[in-house]
Parts: sequence; C-alpha cells; structure tokens
Amino acid sequence: MIEPGRWVELAGIEPRPRWTPRLLFFTALILIGVTVLSWRLFELQVIQGSAFNRLALINRIHRLPIEAERGVIYDRHGLQLAFNDPAWSLQVTSVGLPDDRGSRAAEYQQLARLSGRTAADIRLAVTANPDPYRPLTIKAGLTQQEAETIQERLPQLPGVRLDQVPVRRYADPEIYSHVLGYTGKIDGEAYKQLRGLGYLPDESIGRAGVEAGLEDLLRGRNGWEEVETDANGVVKHVLAMQPPVAGQSVYLSLDAALQKEAYGRLQEGLAKANSKAGAIVAADPRDGEVLALVSYPGYDDNAFAAGITQAAYDKLLADPGKPLYDRAIAGLYPPGSTFKMITGTAGLEEGKITPSTLLGCPSHLSFGAWTYWNWARYDFGLMNVLKAIPTSCDTFFYQVADRLGPDALASYARAFGYGAVPGIEIPGAQAGVAPNPDYKQSICATPGTPECSWNEGDTVTMGIGQSYVLATPLIQAMYAATMGNAGTLLRPTIVHKVTDGAGTVLMSAQPGVVRQVPISPANLEVLRQGMNQCLNGPWGTAAIARVLGFKWDGGCKTGTAQFGGTGVDLPSHAWFVDFGPYNTPTFASATLLENGGFGEYTAEPVAVNVLDYYFDHRGQINLDG
Amino acid sequence: MVRLHPLHRLDPLQLLLTAMLVSLGLMAVFSASQSDLKRQLISLGVGLAAFAAAAALDYRLLRRAALPTYAVCLLLLLAVHLVGHSALGARRWLSIAGFPLEPSEISKLVILVVLANHFARAQGREKRIPTLLGALALAAPPAVLILLQPDLGTAMVFAALCVGLLFLGGASRLQLAGLAALGAAAVPIVPHLLHGYQRRRLEIFLNPASDPLGAGYNLIQARIAVGSGGVLGHGWLHGPQSQLGFVPERATDFIFAVYAEQFGLLGCLVLLMLFALLLVRLAWAASVAPDRFGFLIATGVAVMLFFQVAENVGMNIGLTPIAGIPLPLVSYGGSALVTNLTALGLVQSVMLRRRLLVYRPEQVLERYLLNESGTVRLGPEMEAPLTT
Repeated sequence: MIEPGRWVELAGIEPRPRWTPRLLFFTALILIGVTVLSWRLFELQVIQGSAFNRLALINRIHRLPIEAERGVIYDRHGLQLAFNDPAWSLQVTSVGLPDDRGSRAAEYQQLARLSGRTAADIRLAVTANPDPYRPLTIKAGLTQQEAETIQERLPQLPGVRLDQVPVRRYADPEIYSHVLGYTGKIDGEAYKQLRGLGYLPDESIGRAGVEAGLEDLLRGRNGWEEVETDANGVVKHVLAMQPPVAGQSVYLSLDAALQKEAYGRLQEGLAKANSKAGAIVAADPRDGEVLALVSYPGYDDNAFAAGITQAAYDKLLADPGKPLYDRAIAGLYPPGSTFKMITGTAGLEEGKITPSTLLGCPSHLSFGAWTYWNWARYDFGLMNVLKAIPTSCDTFFYQVADRLGPDALASYARAFGYGAVPGIEIPGAQAGVAPNPDYKQSICATPGTPECSWNEGDTVTMGIGQSYVLATPLIQAMYAATMGNAGTLLRPTIVHKVTDGAGTVLMSAQPGVVRQVPISPANLEVLRQGMNQCLNGPWGTAAIARVLGFKWDGGCKTGTAQFGGTGVDLPSHAWFVDFGPYNTPTFASATLLENGGFGEYTAEPVAVNVLDYYFDHRGQINLDG
Repeated sequence: MVRLHPLHRLDPLQLLLTAMLVSLGLMAVFSASQSDLKRQLISLGVGLAAFAAAAALDYRLLRRAALPTYAVCLLLLLAVHLVGHSALGARRWLSIAGFPLEPSEISKLVILVVLANHFARAQGREKRIPTLLGALALAAPPAVLILLQPDLGTAMVFAALCVGLLFLGGASRLQLAGLAALGAAAVPIVPHLLHGYQRRRLEIFLNPASDPLGAGYNLIQARIAVGSGGVLGHGWLHGPQSQLGFVPERATDFIFAVYAEQFGLLGCLVLLMLFALLLVRLAWAASVAPDRFGFLIATGVAVMLFFQVAENVGMNIGLTPIAGIPLPLVSYGGSALVTNLTALGLVQSVMLRRRLLVYRPEQVLERYLLNESGTVRLGPEMEAPLTT
C-alpha cells in the first residue's frame, strides 16, 4: 500500500524511441566519423609510430658542445700572465626566444641595453647560430653587479640565461699586452673558414700576440654533452658526455720581472726624452729566447677579453700614441749608426778595407753634387774601423759604403736578418728593408724618372743606416745577439716550453739557427772590439754608461737615426743596441725611443738600466744558476 | 497521488559517460599544465552546478526566455569588442568578477536554444523558405560578431549547428542542397576573408612542411606527439613531447595530442568510444524527447559536440585545418566546460520530462504524461503493489 505523499520508485519502461531517418543518418555519421578518426590514429600511432618516435627523439635530444678551457700562459719561471677566471656570461638560446616578431625584437632591445651590444648585432649573432638549442654567449665576463641586474630580469627574458664561463684575464695588462695579445669572439666572416676546424660561432679565438700565434696550442679540444632539453632549450638531463681537453700551458721565454723593469725604464726614459713611444727587445744570444719584448704604449688587453665596446676600441684606434701598434716587432725605423757593424762587416769581408785600413774622418764629404756631414762638425783625423765604430764616424762609413756599392751592403744586411720576417711566434712581425736600386724604384711615386733612380748619395747614407734601410727593434736585437754570439743569426722565440695539464713537457725551446753570418772570426772580433770600445774607449759614444755607473762589460752601439726626409737638423729616433757580458754573452738587446733624439742621451740610459737589472739578476733570469 | 522521484528518469548512462570524459580530461589537463588544474576544478564545480540547474529547470521554460537571452548574448558579444581582453591576437574575453568569461562559448548554447525554439515554432512549416531564412537571420548577427573577434572556430560551430538543426529539423533536401552549393561557391573567397594567421593555418594544413619552425610547428609537433604515443603510450605524466613543451597550447587546443602521447592508441580508442557512446546516447535522448523542442535541443547538443570533437581530434592528427576549437569536456577552459555541461544538463532536463511507461502488476502498459512538477497521476486502481 503506498501512502500518498511518499516517494516511491516506479519501475518504468522506456517508450519506444522514434528514430527518424535523419536521426539515424546523423547517428551513422557519428560512427563513421569516429571510425575515420580511429583509422587515422592507427596509421599515426602504429604504422608510423616508430618514425614519429624517432622524430620525438630528434626534438629533445641535442648534442651541445662544451668549450675547452684555454691554456694558461706563464713567464719562464711559471708566473701566470694569462689565465681563466670564472665569470658570469649572458647567453641566449634561440628556441627559447618568444615566437612572435614583436616580443622578440623587444627582447633584443632589452639584451642590447644589458650587454652594451647593439640589438641588430645580437639579432645577427642569434640568427647565425646554426644550432638553435645551443646557448650562445652574448656577453662574457659580466661584473657581479651586471650579473645581478640581469638575474633580476631573467623571468621577463625567455630564452636568456646566465652561466659561469671562464673568461680570459691578463696580469699587468699594459706591460705584456703586445706579447700576449688578446682573445676575442670570432666574427661572422672569419667563422666561415674556422667552422671546419671545429670552432663554435661564439668561441673566443686568439686575435693578437701569443694568443693568436699559439692558438693551436692554447685552444684545446672542445667536448660535447648529449642532453635532453625542453622545447625552450632548457636542459633537463645530461645523457652522455665527452669531456673537453683543456689547452696546453705555454711557458714564455719572457722574464716577467725583466719585462716589467724594461717597461718601467722605457716609460721613464720616454718621459725624459719627451717622446711618446718606444720599444725594447732583449734576447738570449745563445738560444734566441726573447727575455723581454716591450712596446710602449701598451693597452689594456683585459678590456678585449670580455668583449671590447666599439667606443673603447675606436678610442684606442684614435690614440695618437697608437697603443695597438706593436713597435717591437712591427715598427720599421731606420737603424742609423747601429747599422755600422754591418757596413764594417761588408767592407772587411769584401776586402774593401782591412782592420788596419786608415780612412779620414772629416766633418763632411762630397759625393757628386751633394755634401754629406759627419755628426761632428770637426775633423777626427785618420782612423781604422776599430776606432770608427766607437766614435761612430759617419764620413768613415760613407767611404766604405761608397767602395761597396748598394748590392754588397744589402746582401750583408740580409745576412744579419734585415729584410726577412723573424720567425717569432707572434703574428705581425715585419721584415725590415735591406734596400737596393730596384727597391727604390718600387716604392718611388714616379717610377722611371731620375729622382727614382739610385744615386751615390743613397749608397753612402746606406752605410750609416739611413737611406732606405729599415729595421724593427726585434731585428735589431737579433742583430746585436749575432754580434755577441760570434756570428750566428738565431731565430727569435718567445716560447720556453709547453706542457700539458699534468705538467708533462710536450715541447721545449730549441735554438733555431737561421744562418752563420759570412764573417771570419778575426773580422768579427774587430767589430766586437769596436762595440766594446764604444762603452770603454775614450771616444766611445756610449762612454756615458760608465758615468751612469754601469759596471759590467759588453759591447754596444748607439744610433741616432734621422727620419722624415733628407737634410740636416731632422728629427731622429734614438737607438741603442748591446750585448753582454763581452766574452760569453748571455744577453743582447735593442732599445728604441721613437723621435727620441740622440741615442746616447735618451736610449742609452734606458738600455743601461735594463742591462744593470739583467746583470744583477742574471742567474735567475737565465735559469742556469 | 503518488509522486515519482525525478532522479528515476535521469539518464545515468549519459551522466556516467560525461563523468568519465571529464575525469580523463582532468588527468590530461593535470599532465599538460599542473597549474591549470585548480582553475579547471573550480570551473568543473560551476559546470556541475549549471548541469544540475539545467537538468532541474523545465527546458520548456526556455522557449519563453529564448529571445531575451539572445539579446543579452548579443550585448555581451558587443561588449567583447569594446572592452574585452585580447590574447593571441584575438579579443575574446570579458572579465566578470576577476574570472575570464568567453561570451562566444556561451553564445553557442544561446543560439542552440534560439534555433531549437525557432524550428519548434515552425513545426509543420519546416520545408518553407521563411523558416530557413529566419534561422539564418537569427544565427548571422552573433556569428558575424564572433568572426570579427576573430574566432573562426566558434563561428564554424555556429555554422555546423545551423546546418545540423536544419537537417534534423526537417528542412527540405532542396534547401539543404542549395545551402551546400552556396557553401561550395564560397570556398574560393574564403582565403580572402581569413585573417593572416588563419590563412597561414590553412596553408600549413595543406603543406605542413612549408614552415616547419614557424607556423607549421604546432601541427608537426602535435602529430609527432600523437604518433610517438604508439599503441600503449608513454604512460600518464610521461609523454616527452608534451612534458618538455614541444606540443603547443597543450592544455587547450592540443590536449588530444597530449592525451594520445601518454595513453597511446588504446587510450585514444577508449576516448573516442566514450565520445561516440555519449553522442549516440544524445541522439537516443532526442528520439525519446517528449516534444519537438526537446528533440531539437538534444540533437542540437549532439551536433555541437560532435562537430567539436571531430574538428579538434582531426586537427590534432592532421585531418582538418587548425581552428581554435577545444575538445569538449577534456580541454582546459572554464567557459567551454561550463557551456558543455550546461548543454548536457539541458538534455537531462529533456530526459527528466520524457514519457515513461509504468509497469503495473496486471502487465498492462499504459502511457502516463508526467506533469511539470514531476508527479504522475495514478488511478486508484493502481495503488496496489508497486515495487519499492
């Protein structure tokens, strides 16, 4: 009995459904649709399933390179000159950047503000990166403050990250700048060629100095890691890895302390001489190892390591002192009187004079229509070559040169290393010039005219290192070393040894002999005596060294090389070349003060100070007790 | 008088299928974007309330409310153009008390009711031209406003709904053929009406490899995700394509790809089966509807859901061009979930008011019409033993 008002369950039987033909058609359509979709799914997931699986793998598995750490550069005693400091770098992964053009451009603008590069530059770098999953370094070596500023903005910068990447640092930047050079990012054009060598588009490469010259040793071998990333390139797992091999350690032949001393003394000497630029090259005449290689002014190579701004670079280029110009190996200067040992060698060897030949040393001599003066305006009287060198008598050497002619002189100049690029490991070294009549024609503005043909005046002034003779301080130092070591022209080297990460020596410097200069020991001894007299003789142009308190013995030659035309009272570069000790030289150097006036007054005090330092520390510098 | 419990007439199978689809959807949303799950659960709560309300409400009352609702809906669509929020180059959202509202989603439901009412009123005049023109005139204003947002996907749903109701509502074959001819003639001018990105989508559909890292990326990545799922899938929360972000819009338009990667062909067949059963069940609901309006509501909901499922799954597997249509009940998106659940609730309302045959001990079947309050009149002779 059911009471009214109570809930009850009624068993109901469904009414007969009215399936109209169109409703049936629609139902059939549903079933057909689902069947078509199912078939397509079967096709994708079963028939092509493994192919899509492979595509999914390619999507997320990426092989990313790991940049090898660059080799450390030491001085000969193991003092670090160029090394790697951990620093934050700003990196961009292309796939992580916003997809739509507007936000992407806005992000480039933001990055430009944060990195100091232009937005167009960044866009170019990002689009040139062949692997969109590889983080590309936009700016390396961020300061802590820069890194913090970027860190705060990271959430608004998709695809951007900060990573700790070693950045190149240099000790005492100005002092070693020309020797060490610097590294920099590969630019687009260069990358096309370097790609085949396994370089990464944003990898740093040596751009100057030893960094460029020894790139192959310093670079190391990049490794890789196989990673799983998400769609934005963020690494989720590392699946496999091939560790990179760090670059080799290079021990330069430089003595850091000597280099520092030379740089300081040169700076001091330049200030006194009211000159802006100069160079000192010192080498060991026994093996050609370069002990000091100074070009003044230097520049801050650390500014390059982190990526120099265009403004800073333009400023360096506009500097009248041309700090980027490595005068020590690339500066071409007339050698002036320092050339006279070559003229002497040629005269003696060609039989134009003998050690006892006496020639006059008047205040002036005429050749053809022209009169050529000695540096002194009075007659020194008759003298032999042994006296002509310490007195630096120009008129004596005019006569010797006149007897030799330009070709003989040039061939001896070449024997001493003029006109050939010294084989030092630093790119950019210049060859100097051992001129002959053809050379004059080749550089003359109006070839074929009389003023382009070689005249007697060119020959006689060539005898005193003027005319068209040009040399670099490095060539001069090796020439001085040749005078010191009994006539062996050595190949200069800046590398003392190379070791791997474990300290195993892979390579040590071997003396490289370029040639034995064609000079008899007796003749050479005469010229060496002359250089010694220069320091010790009563007429020696360098006798002031003794006044300056120089106690050691050796040989030297001053030079005051006029430049900027022909005539009298021209400006001059101050030179000083030397070797020592006299009997078994272990040191040879060339000192140049650009537009420095008289060699004996400006270059000599600098050179003597460096010599003093060397002799005070020679046991240590030469590493032989 | 005995009152019949209304829940008795609720369609449990439809409810079960809906619950299963929503559950799979929640799993997929969670795996695609865990942070979206909370909002989706809130939307689900709202959606279930709307479902219950729509089921409880006598659907016949909607006939009176149809035109006022239609007017409000047009105003909302206009408001979107004036004060709406944009995303991905389209203006689609209004902010209601901090919650984003997509009037174009709700308008689907409104146009469904309005068209059903229109065809129900035209009973007996189905094959007349004014009926057809009236339907087009009702559908056109909201469709144009939605196209201008631009929201091609929803506009396409409108068109499908219109055609579906014309077909199932009994329009003449000639009219349908004319409409089809008109549609075919419009095809060549469609590319000119499309926005740049829509045209790109069409080109990409025709040739995905033309721009693999740009516009074709979504399509290719979704297809890779589906294909790499294989037979059994990578397992829940384990599809690399979706977990590592290669599948774009993975909680919304491309949730099917996420699902397919994780659950494989078997999971996809289960999902499609559930949808097929639900749709057939809706068609069945139409077949037992007590009146013309109820029939049209049920078929309209079925057409709307079917079109969205086919288009969304189709675009995920490269069978149809990309159009921003979410997968009903599965994709993340509050407005769509609430709209779809409300639609299903309306069908339940139709079911709740269907005629039932009441079993009597005498084995005599007799029709009883349930009145509006859900009670059934039983004669005094039937008070005897009923099953309790």
